[in-house]
Amino acid sequence: MLRLPQHQTKTLLAIHGWSAVLLGLLLYAVIVTGVACVFAREIADWSSPLERAVDDPYPRGTDMALRRLAATVPAQYQEELFFYPRAGGRLYAFFHRHEQDAGGKPVERGVAAEIDPLSLQILARREGSADALQRSERSNALADFMVEMHVRLHVPDPYGLLLTGVLGLAMLVAAVSGFLIHRHLLREIFTLRRWRAQRGADGALLASRDAHVLAGSWNLPFSFILAFTGSYFSFASAFGIPAMAMVAFKGDQEAMITAIVGHPAQEDRRMQATADLDAMLADARARSGVAPSFVQLEHWQRADARVTFFLPAQGSQLSSPTYVYDGASGAFVQEKPVLGLRPSLGGALADLMAPLHFGNFAGLLSKALWFALGFAAAYVALSGLQLWTQRRAESRAWRRLARAVHWVGYGLPLALIATAHAYFPARQSEVLPQEAMMQMFLLVAALSALAALLIRELAQLRRLLLLATAVALLGLPVLRLLCGGPGWWRALQAQLYGVPALDLLLLAAGIWCLWLIRSPGTLRMPSLRELRS
Amino acid sequence: MSPKNSRAPLWPRWLLAGPLAALCAALIMAGGALWLPRGAAGIDNLVLPILAFPAIWAVLFFYACLTRHLRRAYALLLALLLAHALALGLQLS
Repeated sequence: MLRLPQHQTKTLLAIHGWSAVLLGLLLYAVIVTGVACVFAREIADWSSPLERAVDDPYPRGTDMALRRLAATVPAQYQEELFFYPRAGGRLYAFFHRHEQDAGGKPVERGVAAEIDPLSLQILARREGSADALQRSERSNALADFMVEMHVRLHVPDPYGLLLTGVLGLAMLVAAVSGFLIHRHLLREIFTLRRWRAQRGADGALLASRDAHVLAGSWNLPFSFILAFTGSYFSFASAFGIPAMAMVAFKGDQEAMITAIVGHPAQEDRRMQATADLDAMLADARARSGVAPSFVQLEHWQRADARVTFFLPAQGSQLSSPTYVYDGASGAFVQEKPVLGLRPSLGGALADLMAPLHFGNFAGLLSKALWFALGFAAAYVALSGLQLWTQRRAESRAWRRLARAVHWVGYGLPLALIATAHAYFPARQSEVLPQEAMMQMFLLVAALSALAALLIRELAQLRRLLLLATAVALLGLPVLRLLCGGPGWWRALQAQLYGVPALDLLLLAAGIWCLWLIRSPGTLRMPSLRELRS
Repeated sequence: MSPKNSRAPLWPRWLLAGPLAALCAALIMAGGALWLPRGAAGIDNLVLPILAFPAIWAVLFFYACLTRHLRRAYALLLALLLAHALALGLQLS
């Protein structure tokens, strides 16, 4: 492997450790929520299923349902429409116009509705800005909460995005420095001296270090990809697009996005009925062989209406084209990349970012792989922090950080699962689920902090938090059922296979937490008493 | 952290690897719109710098942390910074 001079290795080791110490706990929070977000769609389907599984997210009659909704939408909001399937297969449609807030930031304001693709009835209708609509979200709220935590840590824009962007860079630094400091990487990815764990403090520390290096080394390419793509997504929205718009478009972000996506057709404001969307959907499906993942319609009921179908990646492809239709005539206009009117290096590389970050390029298989690798990354972050603090446990300040690591390490998953406990009752009542979930999250985080302050032995704190997590996990399927969710038999009859599958996963995770309490395993951290002896 | 002399103050390296590397990466990204080729679709000069920003920052950061020649590193980063600041200033004026 790489042989760096000793002073450079020392510097890299310091960078590796200090980047983790300074930002590791927040990074751990982003990674843990990111692991959950891999299955955001499945979580939404599980938490808010319809009466039965939806085979076709855009059934015949979608056009009629959208026109019925349009009839209730003020003309000012009919500038643009997008629609796509969400929780349970509900078709989420948003008629809106583009505005700028006081700070010049583009915002969307309009009328959003959820359409049941089984009955084509409007299930919910709300009006407001995109942010306000998200705050009052109900069916997709649980998944949204996890995504918001992962993307912004629930910190307002642009600070939340800048924060997660910096955390992405910290992860990039940890991955690169981790790669460079391990001189015997090939040997270390096969080394796990579990038997040493039983031989006193040094042995336990060595076994823990082996486990950290083993998981971290196998995970290095994945961590690098996640860190790079994650910081790209955060910085692009918070800083990259506004900066480039300032340089090339005098600060007009809308103009820049229009230029990047593809130049619009000549503007024609004359009123003209939009062609049959069902026919365009059928044509797009016939051309691609798949249902679109997202549909955008610009200039509803105008002569210059344009409909763009975004298609999911197929087969081994990581990127996918978009189909553009003339909205007034319904005629197919062109196939184009997501960015630009023709293939380009920038467009191709930008296309790669989403599948590489979300792991959704090969269905459930790639998602499961991304989930597992993300879980390993969370373990690497947590075990790295534990190692760093344990090695310095003689100092009071580091012992305090060790306590904080236990609080966040075990308390955060507990608080996240507790949010689901708040979601189900809130969805049944008038309470806004997002508010109820945030209150529950803060309450459980505060209780965990109190436990971390009061319980002297960290092993005991860990056991308590794991026990609470196990109880929360095991109780979640029951709570879902009590709050009107379908039972397993009914779900299977309605082909809602994701409902019992996720219930079983939660139960298995709860049992695993109980097993961890009873059997801390050989990969344990030595206690302070052991270190002193 | 200084390789040549362990008693040398750390703050010049921190200043270079921290705020200066971040500022330089931001200016290279924004300035990239002016000198990168537009590509087949006419968007590469806008998209590529945003895509490359994490990599630009990481290269500057590790260079600033690991180099033995701190003065040379300062000269390089300041040259990049000033060149892009000048180009951006002319574009925005």
